[in-house]
Amino acid sequence: MLEVKNLSKKIGNKTALKNVSFIAPIGEISLFLGHSGGGKSTLLRTICSLEEYQEGSILYNEKKLETALNKNLVGMVFQHFNLFEHLSVERNITLCLEKCLKKNKAEAKDIAYTFLDQYGLLDKAKNSIAKLSGGEKQRLAIARTLSLDPSIICFDEPTSALDPILSIQVREMLEDLCKRGKTLLVATHDMNLALKLQANIHFMCRGALVESCTTSEFEKNKEQFPSISSFLSL
Amino acid sequence: MIDYELMWSSLPALLQGACITIQITIFASCIGYVLGIFFGLLEESKNFLVKSFLRIYVSTIRGTPMLIQILFIFFVLPQIGVKINATFSAIVAIGLNSSAYVSQIIRSGILAIGPGQVEAAKTLGLTKVQTMLHIVLPQAIKNSFFALGNELVTLIKDSSLASIIGVMELTKEGSVIRSRTYDAFSVLLMVALIYLVLTSSVTFFFELYAKRMKAQCSK
Repeated sequence: MLEVKNLSKKIGNKTALKNVSFIAPIGEISLFLGHSGGGKSTLLRTICSLEEYQEGSILYNEKKLETALNKNLVGMVFQHFNLFEHLSVERNITLCLEKCLKKNKAEAKDIAYTFLDQYGLLDKAKNSIAKLSGGEKQRLAIARTLSLDPSIICFDEPTSALDPILSIQVREMLEDLCKRGKTLLVATHDMNLALKLQANIHFMCRGALVESCTTSEFEKNKEQFPSISSFLSL
Repeated sequence: MIDYELMWSSLPALLQGACITIQITIFASCIGYVLGIFFGLLEESKNFLVKSFLRIYVSTIRGTPMLIQILFIFFVLPQIGVKINATFSAIVAIGLNSSAYVSQIIRSGILAIGPGQVEAAKTLGLTKVQTMLHIVLPQAIKNSFFALGNELVTLIKDSSLASIIGVMELTKEGSVIRSRTYDAFSVLLMVALIYLVLTSSVTFFFELYAKRMKAQCSK
C-alpha cells in the first residue's frame, strides 16, 4: 500500500502541492483529475523522486519510499513517453534490464521480446523510435517500465497523445495491469478515461486534493462531489 | 607564373610533411576529443570546484592564441624540468586547445537533449554515470556530430602552427622549399592544395557517416 501523508512542495514562492494525503491500495487505480496546473503531474513526479518535497512523507508498506526507489519499486510512463531516441525499440528495454537488474544479454533479450510480443511490437523490435506511431510509442513506454517489474506505476496523461481507439487500448491495458496486482497512479484530464475506469478518484486544484471518492461512490451520489461532477461535465 | 615542375618535384617532401601533419592531427584530436568529452560531461556536475576549474580552463584556452600555447609548452615546460620534443609539444598544445572547444561543442549537444531523457533514465533506475554514458553522451555526440567534424578540420589547419617550433610538418616543409627556390606561389599553392585534400577528405567521411546514421535512424 502506498500512503502519502501531508505532502507539501513549493517551487520558488509558488505552492505546487499543499498538504496532499491519500492512500493507494495495491492492485487498484488511483486517478488524479484536475485542470492543467492543478498539481497532478507534480504529485506523480514527486512520488517518482523526480522532484523534492519540503514536508510530509511517502510510505510504501509503512517504509519510506526513497529507500526502496533503487529497487525499481516505482515506474513512470511519461506524457511524452521519453523513449531513448538513439536506441532501437529492443534496446530501449534491454539497456535497463542489463544495467539496472544486472541481467545478462540473453536474459534481457528474452524478457524484452516477451514484453514486445505482449504489447504487439515484436515486428518492430529492430526499428528506430522515430518509425513508431504514437500508440506504439505509448505501448513501448509501458513495456519498458513493466519489464523492470515495478510495484507502483505512475502514468502521466497516458491518453493525451492518442486517438480514441488507442485510448481504449490504454484503458484496457491499465485494467489488465490492475488485475496483475500493480498499484497504478494515473494523472489525467481525459474525461472518457476517468468515466470508464473503476478507480479511486482524487480531484486536485491548486496543488491540493479537493475531493476524493471511489468510482462507485461517485456514481451513487454525484452531487456530493461537485468539483469532480463539474470537471466531468455531468 | 606557376612552376609545375617545381610543384611536382617538391611533392615527395611535402607529402612527408603531410604525414607529420596527419600524425599531429590524429594524436591531438585523440587528446582533444577524449578530454573535451570528459570536460563536457563534467560541466554538468553541480560541484562548484569542478565547474570553476572548467570555466577557467576553457576561458584561458579560448582566450589566448594557440601559437602562444605551443610556445609555452615548448619553451616554458623545459625550464621547470619537463623535457619534450617539438612534435610532442605541438601535439599536447593543439590537443589541449582542441579539448576546450570540444567540451563546449559537447555541452551544447547535451543542452539540446530534452530533460525528459534524463528523467526517464532516473525513473528506470539508471545511475548518473550510466545515464551519462548510455543516454546523454551518445545523443550529445549525435547532436554535435558536424561541429565535431569541423573541429577535426580546424585541427588539420591549426597543426600548421607547429612549424613555428621547427616541426617538419606540411607548412614547414613548404617554407623550407620556398626559401630554397624563392618561388613562393608554386610551393604555397601546392601546400594549400594538399591541405585542401586533407580537409575535404575529412569532411567527405563525416558526411558519409552522417548519411549512414540517418539511414540507420530511418530503419
